[in-house]
Amino acid sequence: RSGSKHTTTPADNYYLARRRTLQVVVSSLLTEAGFESAEKAAVETLTEMLQSYISEIGRSAKSYCEHTARTQPTLSDIVVTLVEMGFNVETLPAYAKRSQRMVITAPPVTNQPVTPKALTAGQNKPHPSHIPGHFPEFPDPHTYIKTPTYREPVSDYQVLREKAASQRRDVERALTRFMAKTGETQSLFKDDVSTFPLIAARPFTVPYLTALLPSELEMQQMEETDSSEQDDQTDTENLPLHMSTDDSGPEKENASVLQQNTSLSGSRNGEENMIDNPYLRPVKKPKIRRKK
Amino acid sequence: EGAMSNGVYVPPGAANGEVKPVVSSTPLVDFLMQLEDYTPTIPDAVTGYYLNRAGFEASDPRIIRLISLAAQKFISDIANDALQHCKMKGTASGSSRNKSKDKKYTLTMEDLTPALAEYGINVKKPHYFT
Repeated sequence: RSGSKHTTTPADNYYLARRRTLQVVVSSLLTEAGFESAEKAAVETLTEMLQSYISEIGRSAKSYCEHTARTQPTLSDIVVTLVEMGFNVETLPAYAKRSQRMVITAPPVTNQPVTPKALTAGQNKPHPSHIPGHFPEFPDPHTYIKTPTYREPVSDYQVLREKAASQRRDVERALTRFMAKTGETQSLFKDDVSTFPLIAARPFTVPYLTALLPSELEMQQMEETDSSEQDDQTDTENLPLHMSTDDSGPEKENASVLQQNTSLSGSRNGEENMIDNPYLRPVKKPKIRRKK
Repeated sequence: EGAMSNGVYVPPGAANGEVKPVVSSTPLVDFLMQLEDYTPTIPDAVTGYYLNRAGFEASDPRIIRLISLAAQKFISDIANDALQHCKMKGTASGSSRNKSKDKKYTLTMEDLTPALAEYGINVKKPHYFT
């Protein structure tokens, strides 16, 4: 029941309309009893009593009905309820016959609480089969449906090339600076050490050895291709060939390396021999032994 | 304990004849049939609304009419008692000889309060509002 607020919801209106009907009923009963007029407080009191009386009969009858493990109240439940409330049931038929001359007033209320149509948007979802029909409908779909939107990714070739190039440059720069920060550095300028640090070169005792020897990746690739083309015996034949390159002179090693290189598919072996930085080496693929 | 015989409990007053036990099964079954024609003053929709709020779902519309009739009778009994009070106050001074009490009766709280007190309902309304 709204207190001092002037705006009422449709449910409140529904409730108030019935309350007004009860007041009209009370007024008609008083008129039938012989009163010409009545105090407002008295009518309000009787209306409140009438409403609570009906509610109490309903509650008590339901309780009696459920007490006997039933769900549908019957006449006996109501009789017991009335007796418990101190109502003399025997006088009821006499009263009904007596008051038949009373004018029947108070037409029933017809308005039902309805949500305004202007605010609905979209089709409400119909009830699934497990929900009874008298339950309220689903709310508007926009209240619970979420449709994510995606921005179309940029597919312009120029933009993508620029992005890839700048990313690659940034990665290289970051890695080399990391190497400079964690390893030994040599400075380009005599006084200023921190501005342009260069990764210190590690001098080898035999500087040309790394140029002559094949890198580990090369050796892996050679083993893979050899095993896929030839038998295991030829693998063992090639192995002593690799071992022997350590001992032979530089020209022979060059020639043997070159021969092995030409027998393979073209690869960037020259560069691989120079790159010692583990972060800049190409990816080492796992050995795949193909079954014959 | 002593009043138990045949397994039927008889209240002590019944033996003296003061209290008549009501042995009838629901006499209202016949009455309920007549109720189909008679429409009580309270509309079925209103009574049904308040019963539903209490959890009472009526399968038979005649049940609803019975309840509304009982509630009506309750209120009109109180109204009649209040009318008696009003008439007693009016004719207590003995003015009925000169003129009969005017036919206009107004239900006031002063009449309603003692009528309700007989039913065990105590109402206290403030005489004035500040």
